[in-house]
Amino acid sequence: MAANLARLLECNIRCNNAAAVQSGWRLFSNQRQQQTEVEDDEEFRVLNLRTIKQQARRREIKKNAVQPPRTSRMPVDQDWTAVWSGPRSFHPASVPLPLRQGYTERGAAAPSKYANAELMKIPNFLHLTPPAIRQQCEAIKKFCTPWPKGLETEAKWKRPFPIEVITTDYCHSLPTIRHPEARRVTITLKLSDLKFDAHAKDKFLRLVGERYNQETGVLTFSADRCPMRKQNYDYAMYLLTACYHESFVTEPWEATKSEADMEVYQFERNQAKRSAEGILNWNATGEQKDAPSANYAKSVEALINEGENEYNIAKYKEEVLKMLKIAI
Amino acid sequence: MNFLKKVPTQILPLAEAQLSLSNKSALHTSAVCCRVQSGRYRITVKRDRPLTYEMANPPHFIGHRKSWNSWNTSTLKDALRPSQTAIEDVFIRKFVTGTWHALVCSEIIIKRQHNTIRIAAIIRQAISPRKMYFLIGYTEELLSYWMQCPVTLEFQTVADKKDVVFKYI
Repeated sequence: MAANLARLLECNIRCNNAAAVQSGWRLFSNQRQQQTEVEDDEEFRVLNLRTIKQQARRREIKKNAVQPPRTSRMPVDQDWTAVWSGPRSFHPASVPLPLRQGYTERGAAAPSKYANAELMKIPNFLHLTPPAIRQQCEAIKKFCTPWPKGLETEAKWKRPFPIEVITTDYCHSLPTIRHPEARRVTITLKLSDLKFDAHAKDKFLRLVGERYNQETGVLTFSADRCPMRKQNYDYAMYLLTACYHESFVTEPWEATKSEADMEVYQFERNQAKRSAEGILNWNATGEQKDAPSANYAKSVEALINEGENEYNIAKYKEEVLKMLKIAI
Repeated sequence: MNFLKKVPTQILPLAEAQLSLSNKSALHTSAVCCRVQSGRYRITVKRDRPLTYEMANPPHFIGHRKSWNSWNTSTLKDALRPSQTAIEDVFIRKFVTGTWHALVCSEIIIKRQHNTIRIAAIIRQAISPRKMYFLIGYTEELLSYWMQCPVTLEFQTVADKKDVVFKYI
């Protein structure tokens, strides 16, 4: 086995040597022998010890021809929107304006626009010139529809659209366009836009609690518990609908509301009415009974609900005198 | 106590009271911590240190004589990803200065708008336009892959390094 291998190797090396000699490679040299040339000129080669140094000629630095700035070739009536179509950092060769920016000591001129990093830093609005804006408005005009008729003023469109939806969009410079705060939805409407009876209104106000602002009469539902805006909007609308319909339901336990639970004094339910009736029907024999007048009822309610002030007491006195037919 | 002799007589009792209160020596041996050095350059003897406009104005002039090099919304109140943005900006600066080796003559300005990143700088015209176009494409492609958003390079070129020199100190 070993003998075989050795023979094979030997043969290989011999073949290689032959090939090297034939193809012009000199072993142990890093330069290629150029056989054909030597045969042609038939001269002795000169030993040149400085070959390498001579070969490494100093390379001339060839500068590429730089085009002159584009501003020098711009016609006066060019289409600027084609030159500066979108937001871009300032480039002096594209802007035909003699701009200068930078602070210098007194008397010296500010740095020019060429190689001026300050001009590249500040945001520019060269892409938002009035003609560009006009052009863009013209382009998007075909997607617009006319404003609906009959909704010209706020008073007119407030009637069919009483609910106001408030959301916030965030524009920021991040790889993501999402912002967690954008999920919040607030809907507001006036309480007067909803139709109630007395019981339902009372119950509705108890259900909504602090969401109703008594001074302005505005209901506010805000939702932020769901991750998406649509879900929060749906939830806020659901809250409004559910509260409204629930307020019309009368539960059996609501009938057990006693006088101590009443939030306002009501003349109809109280002793004052019975006393007044007793006085009016003193020794009455007939079937018909006199009832205290509505004005008297109102004055008693005002006296107790609003408190005793000069006006209410005077009104009450007047009503009592009128009811008892006492002339002063 | 001899040095107190020069002090006017009104201050003298107060100074003595203070001395008597704190009899310990007030010698600081730690390094000076309040020294502000960053972004400031020393004047050389020959007055031949070239400064760009950016370097000529120390950092406390930011917003007055020069403006910021990074423009983004992460530094606003309650904004998202402030730290990630800062780290990314450092990375972009290092990558661009390394890719455009010995070619960047100014600070690298990074402006972020929505999800795009626009990188501006002043480049020396030392390499052929062909190489420059290759490097622009290379930088944009790699950075947009790492940042996961479109990256645009907006370079300005100058013929010589001396074009950006504002003054020599």
